Amino acid sequence: MSESVVRDSTPATVPAERYAAGGIDWLLVVAILAVIGTFIRAIYFTPVEATQGPAQKIFYVHAPSAFVALYLAFALVAVASALFLWLKDLKLDRVAASSAEVGVVFTTVVLTTGPIWGKEIWGTWWTWDARLTATLFLWFLFVGYLVMRGAIEDRMMRARYSAVLGLLGALLIPFIHLSVYLFRTLHPMPIVLKPSAPSLPPGMLHTLLFAFGSFALLYVALLRFRYRLAAARDELDAREGA
Amino acid sequence: MIPQNAGYFHAAYAVAAIVYGVYIVSLLRRSHTVKEKLLKSRESSVASRE
Repeated sequence: MSESVVRDSTPATVPAERYAAGGIDWLLVVAILAVIGTFIRAIYFTPVEATQGPAQKIFYVHAPSAFVALYLAFALVAVASALFLWLKDLKLDRVAASSAEVGVVFTTVVLTTGPIWGKEIWGTWWTWDARLTATLFLWFLFVGYLVMRGAIEDRMMRARYSAVLGLLGALLIPFIHLSVYLFRTLHPMPIVLKPSAPSLPPGMLHTLLFAFGSFALLYVALLRFRYRLAAARDELDAREGA
Repeated sequence: MIPQNAGYFHAAYAVAAIVYGVYIVSLLRRSHTVKEKLLKSRESSVASRE
């Protein structure tokens, strides 16, 4: 174990008894309803794009899931990992691990909905261009991160190795964002996250913004739920080890 | 003429719902298991004190 001080402030803030007695997670319920609302709005109340047809509506799930995975989930892994290496607080390790797991789920949705859209619009399920390949690599890297965590028993060593891998993995985020500018690719340029104004008609833009909000809320709810689970499991391990 | 390809977005939405749904169910199951173990641990610690 490292000679530096290891902190773990969680047991004081999330008592195991309170967790064990907890009922319905209302934030998660609201987030699920918001995502269902996004689906309904996109399917029934958003105009159909003239050249791509209804298949373009995949955009309202694909793009917000990618936004959450890259710019919220994996970005938070990087921040929490860097702070863990500095402060050695296991609470930060739990934040990073929880965000990585939720990020992998969002990236799975990106990597499954993208090819369905690509098959209709590009005529192929997959192409080995920079953005798709880098995103697939990011997914493998964070699946490896989660597998590695399960393989290391020493709590402090697990946290330290995970923090290093989490930081290195997050280096792919700016590369993935800029890949459509740096390389010749089939993937379209950003139409919202760009220096100029969004290039979408209002009906589509409002649905997209609603989708960003609902998927971000789903991320926060899942992260909170997963973090509490990790804190309770750590406390259980500590009790069983005592 | 607008292409008739709604099947693709139906499939994509179904896949997304399944992935998120399966993950939420896995979280709920894991949470349920941990809660049960915590309650057992508390009961055994109370019994050992008595």
